[in-house]
Amino acid sequence: MNPLLIAFVGILLVPLFVASWRLSLFGLAAQGLIMAWISYQLDPAVDSVSAWVGLFDLIVVRGIGAPLALYAVLRSQRATARHDVIPPNLMSWTMAIALVFVAFRFADMLVPLEGSEHSFVAGATAGLLLGLLVLATQTGPFSQMVGALRIENAIALFELGGGHHDIGMRIAQTVILILTVLLFRWYLKTLPRASTVKVSVVEGMSS
Amino acid sequence: MTWLILVGLPLLSALAVTTSRGGNRASTVLVVTSALTSIAATVHAALPSEAPFLDGYLHGDETVQLFAPVINFIFMGIAVYVRARVATEPASRRFVFLALAFLAASNFALLCNHLLLMWIGLESTTLAAALMILRADAPASRLASWRYLLFSSVGLGLVLLGFVCLTRSMELAGQEPTLFLDAMPAAVAGPTNAWRELGVGLVILGIGTKLGLAPMYSWLPEAYDEAPAPVSAMLGAVQFNIALVLLFRIVHIYRPGSGPLITGELLTIGLASVAVSTVSIVATQNFKRLLAYASINHAGVIAIGLGLGNAASYGVLLYVLSNAFIKAILFLTAGKIEAHYGTKDTKTIAGLIKDLPYSGLFLMVGTFALLGFPPFGSFLGELLILSALVTSGQMFVFAAFCMLITVSFVATGRTIFPMIWGEPKQVRTWPQQRVSGALHKLIFLGMLLVLGIYIPPQINALMIHVAHSLEGP
Repeated sequence: MNPLLIAFVGILLVPLFVASWRLSLFGLAAQGLIMAWISYQLDPAVDSVSAWVGLFDLIVVRGIGAPLALYAVLRSQRATARHDVIPPNLMSWTMAIALVFVAFRFADMLVPLEGSEHSFVAGATAGLLLGLLVLATQTGPFSQMVGALRIENAIALFELGGGHHDIGMRIAQTVILILTVLLFRWYLKTLPRASTVKVSVVEGMSS
Repeated sequence: MTWLILVGLPLLSALAVTTSRGGNRASTVLVVTSALTSIAATVHAALPSEAPFLDGYLHGDETVQLFAPVINFIFMGIAVYVRARVATEPASRRFVFLALAFLAASNFALLCNHLLLMWIGLESTTLAAALMILRADAPASRLASWRYLLFSSVGLGLVLLGFVCLTRSMELAGQEPTLFLDAMPAAVAGPTNAWRELGVGLVILGIGTKLGLAPMYSWLPEAYDEAPAPVSAMLGAVQFNIALVLLFRIVHIYRPGSGPLITGELLTIGLASVAVSTVSIVATQNFKRLLAYASINHAGVIAIGLGLGNAASYGVLLYVLSNAFIKAILFLTAGKIEAHYGTKDTKTIAGLIKDLPYSGLFLMVGTFALLGFPPFGSFLGELLILSALVTSGQMFVFAAFCMLITVSFVATGRTIFPMIWGEPKQVRTWPQQRVSGALHKLIFLGMLLVLGIYIPPQINALMIHVAHSLEGP
């Protein structure tokens, strides 16, 4: 298996066991940068606009922009250092590790031959399943954003393994990701106030 | 090529609204733009379908000809509602800008002849709608808006992942990977493989999230409830249909090779959606939530019909088109009722037919259509789906479906009818309702009756054509 993909899987797991929002954001940044490195290995010439846009998406948006945007908000809110991405108990940790095994088993079924494609599928599936685990176990906006961005990164890794679209669509996808991240940032800034709203007996009616 | 009016005009109008002159007349710009796009869509629907244009990326085929007038027409009704509300609440320039961007993105997504481009259009409608759900006077709307964006991002992410799997499956089959709708049937003609099955499964699950189907439906009641009434109508009657058209495209292309997977997945998530929405309809005391749960219920019925294909396809189309008008009528009426009573609690509202005659009438007729009473199109649509369940031998689904629909029928009536005919809890004096203020809903009602009683031959021909594409082998 490609050492970069091993690093990718490692960086997927570590923030789940170390309860720190800074590490979660570092994990997201590292995922983006590792994917950029993988992309560069796959196409070292970088001789098309589409390839440059792809690198911009991975390095600037996923690797730097998205984590930094969320970091600035949490820092301004003086968020406490501890932050559990998944509930800190043996059950969740076992599930996280089990999901990585499931991802590799799934890759064995989908791509029976060992090789780069097998590694891509295993890494991306692990990212997707762990992202879904984060979303399934957390209700706080920050954790949900981390979960959603993990899923976005897993999809980007899947896309690295194949599927090249023309430049217009590549740019449009990147623009949509940037807008989504900006909206995430805005929600992170404003949601703590909204989440204090109590819900009355008639569900959905703010009191 | 002239189809581009449907995209270009709302975009230009959105830009105009940002200027000080256009901003002062924002609601008028919204009404005029939607009226013009409605006319353009109707004219295009009457003309023979064109070949793909803009290098084949856009195509005004029969599906577009059928849905574009419906979507634009409903949007025009919503715009008229917004304009009428301006008399009491100033329409925000930001809201109108987002609404026009939403319309442009919706029409763009509808016109796309490329799956990824359609995905981009659908994502754009999501980003615009997320901001429109926010209400300054309702802090809970912020949470609803966030959950809407989160679920949509995950759902559309799964769709994108599905597309990646589908292109990989074409490569494995020795075909040139393509996501052009007109080229895909030939590219997927060979035997199926694991990548294709995975891709189709993920795409259906992802679109199901946008449609509010189980298991990822929990965003819908919250978003429809907290959003302003016009936005609930936009989500339920416009965006819902765009996502549905994407599902139609997938079913059309992949049913010949992956029929059992499509049938199994759609029947399962459809029946699960009908079940969870029925339980919620029984429990809720909030009429906007009730309409939201009814939307999940309807999405479930549509998924079941679409899963069956064959004879149910025409019924699905009839149900979908009726459903769009029903949702528009009911959500706009719900907005009016909420504005007057200042509550969504079904226990505190009674005697609507005396208090607010037009709103009471629309709630009554809309509820009858919602429940699938004749002579509305939803009745015939549901009947065709039920009959297809029997003829295809899906007796368990048929029995469960009948039981659940009966329960939701009784629960909806038990909640809504006292609101319409019950004795008013306290004497109130409202300003008299004018017919002109309800004209758009009257027209929607007329459309509903047309779908149930007499469908003009040209529209029927389009429906038959689209239904045929969904039938499968």
